Amino acid sequence: MNTFVMALRGLYGVWLREITRATRDRAQLIGGISRPLIWLLILGVGLNPYFRGEVYGEVRYVIPYTYLQFLFPAVIVLNIMYTSIQFAVSVIWDREFGFLREVLVSPMPRWLILLGKVLGGATVAMLHGGLVLILARFADVTLSLEQTAVALVLMFVLAFGLTSFGVILAARVRSFEGFGVFSNTVILPLYFTSSSVFPLDPALTRAQQAVTYPEWLVFLVQINPITYAVDALRGVLINFNQFPPLWGPLVIVAMAVVFFIIALIDFNRQ
Amino acid sequence: MTSPLPEAPQGPLPAIAISVEKLSAAYGGRTVLDEVTLQIPRGTSFALLGPNGAGKTTLLNILSTLRRPDGGSASVAGADVVRQQTLARRSLGVVFQDSSLDDRLSAWENLEFHGLVYGMAPKLRRERSAAVLALVELEDWRDDIVRSFSGGMRRRLEIARALLHEPQILFLDEPTVGLDAQTRLRIWRYLDEMRRERQLTVLTTTHYIEEVESADTVCIIDHGRIIAEGSPEVLKSRHGSRWLHVVPRDQAALDAIRAQRPDAQLLGQHGLALPADDGAMTDAFLTAFRDRLTEVRFQDPTLESVFLSLTGRQLRDRADGDRDAERAAGRRGGRR
Ligand SMILES: Nc1ncnc2c1ncn2[C@@H]1O[C@H](COP(=O)(O)OP(=O)(O)OP(=O)(O)O)[C@@H](O)[C@H]1O
Ligand SMILES: [Mg+2]
Repeated sequence: MNTFVMALRGLYGVWLREITRATRDRAQLIGGISRPLIWLLILGVGLNPYFRGEVYGEVRYVIPYTYLQFLFPAVIVLNIMYTSIQFAVSVIWDREFGFLREVLVSPMPRWLILLGKVLGGATVAMLHGGLVLILARFADVTLSLEQTAVALVLMFVLAFGLTSFGVILAARVRSFEGFGVFSNTVILPLYFTSSSVFPLDPALTRAQQAVTYPEWLVFLVQINPITYAVDALRGVLINFNQFPPLWGPLVIVAMAVVFFIIALIDFNRQ
Repeated sequence: MTSPLPEAPQGPLPAIAISVEKLSAAYGGRTVLDEVTLQIPRGTSFALLGPNGAGKTTLLNILSTLRRPDGGSASVAGADVVRQQTLARRSLGVVFQDSSLDDRLSAWENLEFHGLVYGMAPKLRRERSAAVLALVELEDWRDDIVRSFSGGMRRRLEIARALLHEPQILFLDEPTVGLDAQTRLRIWRYLDEMRRERQLTVLTTTHYIEEVESADTVCIIDHGRIIAEGSPEVLKSRHGSRWLHVVPRDQAALDAIRAQRPDAQLLGQHGLALPADDGAMTDAFLTAFRDRLTEVRFQDPTLESVFLSLTGRQLRDRADGDRDAERAAGRRGGRR
């Protein structure tokens, strides 16, 4: 019992440190606020008129949603991705500047240290995703309390998985500079091939089979786990799924479990 | 630090706090620790003395479970550092050679973090944090972000943090580099008190000779091997040498002495130092030159000279300022 309370305190301490550090990191906060504004205000508003437009001369309302509504859940995922994967920097920081040793010589078991760290990073990333929710009204998305709660849970689990992924990257990268390049070459391709900015099937109705994407692109989208995370959030927020509704949550949970286990193996090896 | 220790330990048994058995370590085939064997009794202070690269930090890293040994075994507070890591860590407080503070947190937040990670209850955390902050005289900076601290302030906070959870065994890897004499004295006094009252065991590496002088046991380590171990007095009487310091009356006298005693070393502008272990030779010298000297003084063996005679090298009181500057530059360079 006593050791359990002590472990909880340790977990809380590690978590709290991540939160405290994040609130002092202005740059990250500015990124978390400006990113959704740019994506929704500029890309979203700019492309909104074209989304329901004509395809090969015929006007078809292919999706009963505006482009802004369609994009909205994807921008949440984008914000979570950036913050989560950027978390690797915090891990590299601890390692390179010696703070890690302070925790490693404490009685806390390693898995608990990692869990606290990932929970902290995931909380911050979820909150950054939550910032986007404030723009819901602007994007014409009306949210009930229940929808918001379900979305936040999905966002947290997604953030947990992606933060673990960040830890895995950190174990393989030696320098901060290297990581900067690396993170952009990982985040943006994953984002663009997640059916975030365009629907998987441009036609979405049988009548428009003529308009299809090349097979390789469809393939990339289908094997990208982020696709299903975006789909899960679309299901909750705008009630639109491109895949069976259960796939999204399943993929999100699977990512959290698998990535955390790999991160733990890496962390134990150091 | 010169305070007398009680003759017999007050604990139930004169337990061994740290035990190291034929410990070896290598980096890429290069031996860094070579079958080191040590026994450190509880409640004593033990100083590791050795030049740069001797393996001191490596030994502390193994004892604090950060690194696995490549041979041999070690235990702290009775817990094996490989097989019973958690148990071993519970008894330790560690001050690392380079900073391991979070410089984005305040002094208080760093202590709070430490207390939480060691599972301390809220009330105890607050009390102990206030106490250790007072010890290192940082109360006025408790809510300042560590990044704004000077090198010495960081060092003080780090020492305070290592004492927060009242460990049984304290490792200090060159803890007092960059600290002013007054702070050093305060901290050593406190540690002495803890040693007497709570049987705290202190294992230090240091380059300040005067701190080594006050240790119960000094261990000289070079190239990963222990070359001498014992109380400062024993080491000095066994390996040290006496010197005769003289100031000749004039240049002619100086030249004459140097001609007769080629082993004489210049000391400052006018002085000379001569090895004085050989009594007969010294007497002969003094008889011969008595009238041509203005000053005569015997210098008792120092640990400095012990070190010199054992390793053939001077234990430079290294330019600590340089190292601090280097360290600070490293930190700045890595900052985003
Ligand atoms: N991570 C490492 N990789 C390779 N070699 C290392 C590593 N760490 C230490 N060494 C080597 O091990 C030897 C002992 O290093 P250690 O840090 O234990 O010395 P030290 O006695 O603490 O020296 P100092 O007084 O400079 O702190 C050195 O020769 C060093 O080059
Ligand atoms: Mg060292």
